[in-house]
Amino acid sequence: MIIAHGPWPPAPDPDISNRFSGDDDAIRFGRALFHDARLSADGSMQCATCHEARHAMGDGKPRALGRRELDRNTPALANLSGRRWFGWDGRSDNLWAQSIHPILNPDELAQDENSLARRIIEEADLARTYLEVTGRSPVDDPPREVLVNIAKSLAAWQETLVTPRTAFDRFRDALAEDRDVPDNVFSRSARRGLKLFVGEGRCSLCHFGPNFSNDEFHHAGVPHFTRNGSVDPGRHGGIGKYRASPYRRTGKFSDEDPESAARAPGNFVVRSHDDWGRFRVPSLRNVAATAPYMHDGSVADLPAVVRHYDEINMNLFHEDGESLLRPLGLDATGRADLEAFLRTLTGDPVTATP
Amino acid sequence: MAQDVKTAIVDAHIHYSHDAWSVYPPEEAVGILRDAGLRMAFVSSSSDDGTLKLYALAPELVVPVLRPYRSRGEISTWTGDASVIPYLEERLAAGIYVGIGEFHAFGDDVETDVMQAVIRLAREHRLFLHAHSDADAVERIFATDPDARVLWAHSGFTGVEEIRRMLSSYPNLWADLAFRSEHARNGVVDPEWRALFEEFPDRFMPGTDTFTPERWYYVREQAAWTREWLKDLPPELVENIAWRNAENLIQSAKSREN
Repeated sequence: MIIAHGPWPPAPDPDISNRFSGDDDAIRFGRALFHDARLSADGSMQCATCHEARHAMGDGKPRALGRRELDRNTPALANLSGRRWFGWDGRSDNLWAQSIHPILNPDELAQDENSLARRIIEEADLARTYLEVTGRSPVDDPPREVLVNIAKSLAAWQETLVTPRTAFDRFRDALAEDRDVPDNVFSRSARRGLKLFVGEGRCSLCHFGPNFSNDEFHHAGVPHFTRNGSVDPGRHGGIGKYRASPYRRTGKFSDEDPESAARAPGNFVVRSHDDWGRFRVPSLRNVAATAPYMHDGSVADLPAVVRHYDEINMNLFHEDGESLLRPLGLDATGRADLEAFLRTLTGDPVTATP
Repeated sequence: MAQDVKTAIVDAHIHYSHDAWSVYPPEEAVGILRDAGLRMAFVSSSSDDGTLKLYALAPELVVPVLRPYRSRGEISTWTGDASVIPYLEERLAAGIYVGIGEFHAFGDDVETDVMQAVIRLAREHRLFLHAHSDADAVERIFATDPDARVLWAHSGFTGVEEIRRMLSSYPNLWADLAFRSEHARNGVVDPEWRALFEEFPDRFMPGTDTFTPERWYYVREQAAWTREWLKDLPPELVENIAWRNAENLIQSAKSREN
């Protein structure tokens, strides 16, 4: 069970729906675009405005602050390669499609296809690099194609963002090789916390695998009202948005061969009533650096996360809808141990792979 | 020009519990039910005061069902709590209720004094029982009172074959479809469920189950989803499932002989 949470880092897993995935020129272009305010309609905002390196590629705020405060927590961008779903509600089945959302959102970069294409055409350096990466002048591409290529370049760079190896990885590898590691690398408290994590805490039923996420959706016992009194439908709404999107792996903008795309999970997704209020299970890699937590940033820090699950309010679940979560009833030592383990999943700042 | 008239629906599974009251004041809650195009709504609440708040505003829309819980936490303890019985007796004196429920009782919970009293009260007041129960508990209810009227919440969260067996065995058993999704997908009724609906055209009814305040936002969504899959059925069956079965359940309970 513990060994299944590695090895780390994982082998590269190119996005077959993005022909620029792994392409060095596209990665450089994507990195530059990510930090370029010209990508926003009024030149005031970059992707990096909300995804800051000093906040582990998030923003450290409860809810994203675009042109107004949004309803959800800014996800920390790292370890994105190989995922099935993107966004808290899984509205996208690939990273370039997900990258389109903030570009077009009126409360974020606030572009539309035409204004973005004009911007790329009019800015000589952007037009030149676009040509170098795509082999086409932006003048010759329809605006929507320009949007997709920009998003694919952004995705190509984001795929390279990987969290570093941590104390847990050293412990896990030693376990796999039947060695031990000193307590100053992986403390006794962290070992007890790990035992809780994979044992009676049942955390690993959702936070599983090298990325500590099963890449699915779950109700975590967090109310899902928005600040204006409406409700965030979570996965239920995400499936609707996914189905309405032209930017799916099976869509005409995808570079994946149809036979492979036909096997994509999105083809089999079924919307059910209990998707209402479910959100994507986030990775726990770098978790100590990505506070606050939950889809709406309503849980401030790691001790509060542990307390949330320890005392989880079962009244928020349907009697027949939740079989994994239940109050843990940990004592102070148990809580501290679980937190100590979670902290071993955090290493140095996120870096781009070479 | 044909009008796009919404199919009238009776939602058989609404709760207006205490934590919803401040989020959706009664006027707003009733507005949601009306906006969803509901013909009626079976409302039961923890506490029952929630049901009364809505009933006072919209007696033509809100069908009061008396829930034995005074707060949410009683779901797993109520069958051992003798104080439930005088509480129900006092509330039933108002004479406005058509059922008792939705309650949670599984297996031999039905043999407890409290559940036996609930079955007795339903018989005396000519009410149906809205039971969130396994098949065993439903069978024990009918063993206690063979002439009981039972609305099986969530169709017991069991499979088509078990539902068929139960409906075949108990002519006074109805089933709601709250919080179930598997009977239809993208507006198409699953073939096994279609056969079940056709075999028992007078037993099923839709429901939302507003078990948390957030799910009040889902009432409209649920009604729209229900209308979508109902279109896949013959018109008479649509009317039965959409509203007639629920109304017949009320009448059946009222007309039973004691």
